[in-house]
Amino acid sequence: MVALGPLAVATAVTLTALLAVLGLWWFGDRGRGRRTSAPERVPFTGGRAPRVHAWNRYHARYYPMALMFLAFDMEMVFMYPWAVVFVSEGLIAMIEMGMFIGILLLGVLYAWRERALDWA
Amino acid sequence: MTPLVRRLAARAPVPVYPIAGFGMRDAVQDLRLEEGLVLVDTPRAAALLLVAGAIGPKHRDAVARTHDALPHPRATVLWGGDGDGLAIADAPRIDRAADVVPALCDLFARLVLGSRPTEEPILADEDPIEWRGVGPYGQGGTGMTGGTPYGRPMADLGPDRDGLRLDVVPVEIGPFFARLPAGLVLDLSVAGDVIVEAKVASASLGVEREIQMGAARSPFIRALSGPVAIAELEVARARDHLRWMAGALHAQGMPSLGVRALRLAHEVQPGDGDQVRNFGRWTARTGLFHWSLPSGAGRLAPDLPGMGLGPVSRAAGLPEDLRLADPSYQALGFAPRVLDADDVGARWRLRVEEAAAALDLAARAGDAFAGLTGMVESPRGRLTPGDAPSDRAIALIPRLLEGLEWSDALAALVSLDLDLDESGLAVSVDAAVAV
Repeated sequence: MVALGPLAVATAVTLTALLAVLGLWWFGDRGRGRRTSAPERVPFTGGRAPRVHAWNRYHARYYPMALMFLAFDMEMVFMYPWAVVFVSEGLIAMIEMGMFIGILLLGVLYAWRERALDWA
Repeated sequence: MTPLVRRLAARAPVPVYPIAGFGMRDAVQDLRLEEGLVLVDTPRAAALLLVAGAIGPKHRDAVARTHDALPHPRATVLWGGDGDGLAIADAPRIDRAADVVPALCDLFARLVLGSRPTEEPILADEDPIEWRGVGPYGQGGTGMTGGTPYGRPMADLGPDRDGLRLDVVPVEIGPFFARLPAGLVLDLSVAGDVIVEAKVASASLGVEREIQMGAARSPFIRALSGPVAIAELEVARARDHLRWMAGALHAQGMPSLGVRALRLAHEVQPGDGDQVRNFGRWTARTGLFHWSLPSGAGRLAPDLPGMGLGPVSRAAGLPEDLRLADPSYQALGFAPRVLDADDVGARWRLRVEEAAAALDLAARAGDAFAGLTGMVESPRGRLTPGDAPSDRAIALIPRLLEGLEWSDALAALVSLDLDLDESGLAVSVDAAVAV
């Protein structure tokens, strides 16, 4: 009986899973509601039927902004070693990090001027 | 448990998608004041379809498609109009305005409680374009990217504003799109959310002339064929501008302020100019002009001189107003408000100022009658028999929309205050004069 233990557990799990799947199937079937007709499925734009397929390629305009975020996010990694030595180095570390962030900020301002932050 | 849930659901506000047929624009807008109703912006969110007034044969297909876009359980109410050719079986018909809200609430309750079955689709269950297998770009078919095959062609490629070649999607908006006047169909080519090309495919409800001639007439339409008191005209002008504001605020996602504007449109009397100015300050305080309305979008200045588009022309700095040529208005010391910004926000500001000034003028006018015959300055501009300002404004739509993003385009379209009913009525007055 003890030897059959793991097998019994595995069988019980399988049976439970099977019952759960069948139960969900049965419930899903009950709750499915009506089948919709072809005109009921199309998107509504005011009463006219769509002429082209819903697939279309458009410009993901947040893309340059996402790239910029990644670039500047990675720069922040440099602040971890700096934070470790900040207490021992003191004011000089503060000034160096100020310069670093100042240069980064110029980059952001440049991107802003080039309208890279405009999504639309 | 279910009956309790159903009973509670039956008491909820009724989500209605309205289609305002000929002459029913204001009546349908007034339903926004009803506590028990919610006028939704898409049939997908509605339980009931309200078809108000007459709709021409050319749009009956669109009514059917709108009907079929409602989720189950659904039902339709026909208000006024004949409902002929709409093929909606046993939909209740209502004639009196007072019966509309009780009928809608009752029908919704019966629908939710299950005592009335849902309406079957009107259109046949067939794909409009026959399935032709996997398309040239792999569209259609089954599985993750295909789903139920439709067989529609892919959009053509076109130049993008960033120098890329991306899809230019043709989309027809209307005739029953919630933000546009019923009957207006725009044929747009859209790259992403930017409109590349715009055409007007239809600009009327296409109802028979007898129906147009039998419709109720605003004071401005009556002024085309006989004298009307200045006080009546000016109060009607203020109310019309406030109704426009109600619709425009709704389009900007401020429905509560929109309802206040609509209430004000019902309540204002001659001399109530300050109430309107106060309301204008309220809307400005919401940040609408700074954040919501596109600054500088919707400019039309080069096309406007001589167009007589009322507030649209005057917001662009053109003092075009037929009231200037009217001796009765001259005697009252009338001077039109003029701004020189020529964009969507300027048209808002000007309409608020004009509505307030019209109420002040109405208080001063006493019993005076307008002095011009056969022409009048309607809230939308120069109105003569057979020539309505909205028709002239519609000719500007292609130039107005091209290059705008969809949200700005919608704000710009709303700022034109198109009224296709007025166009139809102006034509019917023309016909009456000709007879």
